[in-house]
Amino acid sequence: MERDTEPMNLNDIEVDSVTKRFEDTVAVDNISMNVARGELFGLLGPNGAGKSTLTKMLCGMINPTSGIIKVGGYSIHKNPMKVKESLGVVPQDIVLYDYLNARENLAFFGRLYGLPGGKLKSRIEELLKFTQLDEKVAKRHISTYSGGMKRRVNIAAALLHEPQVILLDEPTAGLDPKNKLALWEIIRTLHKEGKTIMLTTHMMDEAEELCNQVAIMDKGKVIALGSPHQLIKKVKMENTITLVPDKITSKLIEAVKKISGVKRSYRAYNESEKIETLKIITKRAEDILPDIVSTILSVGTKILSVELSRVTLEDVFILLTGRSLREEEEQL
Amino acid sequence: MKLKRTVNQVFAIAKTDFLGIARNKTAIFFTLLFPLFFIIIIGFTFGTVGTGETNRIQVGAVNLDGTTIYVNGTVSHNSSIGDAFVQALKDVNFTVHEYAKYGDRDNNGTAAYDISRGQIKVAVVIPVNFTEALSYQYVDSLGVPIPTKAHLDLYTDPSDPTGSMIAQQSILGFISGFIEYYQESMISQIPESFQSYAKVLADPITVSTGEADIAGHPLRNIDFMVPSTLGLVLLWGGLNHASVSIATERTKGTFQRMIIAPVSPATVLVGKFISSLAIVYLSGAVMLISGVLLFQVNLYWNIPAIVLSVFLGALSAIGLGLIISSLAKNEEAANAITILISVPLQFFIGAFFPLSMMPEPAQIFGNVLPFTKLVTAMQSIMTKNLPFEAVMPEIIYMTISGLILFALGVIAYRLSLKRL
Repeated sequence: MERDTEPMNLNDIEVDSVTKRFEDTVAVDNISMNVARGELFGLLGPNGAGKSTLTKMLCGMINPTSGIIKVGGYSIHKNPMKVKESLGVVPQDIVLYDYLNARENLAFFGRLYGLPGGKLKSRIEELLKFTQLDEKVAKRHISTYSGGMKRRVNIAAALLHEPQVILLDEPTAGLDPKNKLALWEIIRTLHKEGKTIMLTTHMMDEAEELCNQVAIMDKGKVIALGSPHQLIKKVKMENTITLVPDKITSKLIEAVKKISGVKRSYRAYNESEKIETLKIITKRAEDILPDIVSTILSVGTKILSVELSRVTLEDVFILLTGRSLREEEEQL
Repeated sequence: MKLKRTVNQVFAIAKTDFLGIARNKTAIFFTLLFPLFFIIIIGFTFGTVGTGETNRIQVGAVNLDGTTIYVNGTVSHNSSIGDAFVQALKDVNFTVHEYAKYGDRDNNGTAAYDISRGQIKVAVVIPVNFTEALSYQYVDSLGVPIPTKAHLDLYTDPSDPTGSMIAQQSILGFISGFIEYYQESMISQIPESFQSYAKVLADPITVSTGEADIAGHPLRNIDFMVPSTLGLVLLWGGLNHASVSIATERTKGTFQRMIIAPVSPATVLVGKFISSLAIVYLSGAVMLISGVLLFQVNLYWNIPAIVLSVFLGALSAIGLGLIISSLAKNEEAANAITILISVPLQFFIGAFFPLSMMPEPAQIFGNVLPFTKLVTAMQSIMTKNLPFEAVMPEIIYMTISGLILFALGVIAYRLSLKRL
């Protein structure tokens, strides 16, 4: 079957003026973006930003209210089956049959993608090796696996048919640092193999670490699009002071905001260390640091650590929306 | 090529779905062991009904006949006929409990007390003058016997209408035989030339009863009940599995993962249908084989007719299951709706009680259900050994209702895909 876009100009994902409404709610609001072949693209944003709705439209679970979506050069309207064949989708939750073992799960999903017997067998062996699941483990029911092992089989199930485009929805959510790094390694390997990957995440450090292009979504719109480097450059003129106080109160944030030279002050969350931090954006970090320290101490708060941080995608998000991702999650 | 791929997909879905039952102890219990337990329970409960056995019937005999009374001004406490009546009850193999008085439900040791606690199903009260009345001891001043009828009271257990009805009918039959014996012994005492007239006068109509030979062998209740259980299998296996299967997968997310693969909705449905059908056949086979092995049920095995009838019935059950599965928000909701529908329905399909015993509105409702048609068809084919043509009305009805319900199930399923 002919592609709906010529291979010469192939973007593996094309989203053109796409809107999705659910009754009165606009979940995705007239967004456009392209993901070029071989790109590792991060789709960022807080819960409710419209990431999941966009992902569901990409894999054909729901149709857009308006606009055009193409995956692997095929339109989701005209060639939904071809789109499905081009895509490997790794859902956020572990979506496997817990009464089957890894091999049986992979065989089931392989058959759904029409893999013939011999090919299916060899792909299962390759993927068990790729996801570092040994023969003994592969024979056990999924219900006996650790979280990290389940995640790996969850990914393997999406790779059986060797899709060119892979959608990863929050692949490391809930994983400990060791398993998270192991999964990052898998994603990097897939990227090196030339796969086009769209990674949906609300963890800015993950996107920064892995992606070469990112789109930040908020309230159904794409509010920033570019490489992490380009986006960070937007807030380059600013410095960020990251403090770890023993407690962060609204009173403390307001008191810091009043200090001359402080452009913005907000509560943030360090995903890797699992601690709350107070971030202060300023152009004159060294000049006002003594004032900041004395102000914090004056409200009866102890300072556990202070550092001048590099600008992160989290800071970009805050600059663009005026809110932190953490605040967004707390509100939901 | 495409067909081969679709067939592979269908069987992968059916196999995985089936393994979900086979590897789940609770599901195995409800699919295979529950039918077995059910057959054992109904076999032991109803297995001997229809064979004329009376020892299961618990009868209370309140024999007051020996109580002292005055007859024609003289004391009498003759109990010979009352005692003979009680002995005859025992001789014909009723389980007889003897009491000194009828009493009340709060008075331990009396018949009414035991009825209220289900110890006996029927109590026969033999009056104080039973022997005196039947032996013409009441006479006028000239010594001429005064015709006096003996009167028996029967009390039954209203909490068990079916059991009581059976017990009451059995006792009435026994009394009828006892009266006949009494008449003959009385008539034998009059001059021989009048005896034949007296017999006709005393008993002008004779009735003989017998069961029509519709099966080639004597039938018991269980001979009808075992094939009827196939109707229950449709509700327990087909409806239940189809309704919960998709809802469970939707809750777990495996359903979403299945439909983002290049699999058509029809492929998913056919796969689910095959696994539900396999469960129905397996569960039905357990019911029938255990009925035959444990209770020597005599069945006629017209396999093609049985397989076809169950398939058509399953279309309705699985179609209804798909509707429930599509409407339900999650697995729990699907379970609740299924129980709400299947539990009452099983009493209206003629598997537990004959529809003819039910009130007219219930009979009309029961006759609309395709599962009732399967029960009727299975009884006709497997118990009565009727030819397939004899159940054509049921087959046609099940085909039409099956296609309608399955089509509605497909529509509901397609609509549910839009809600993902």
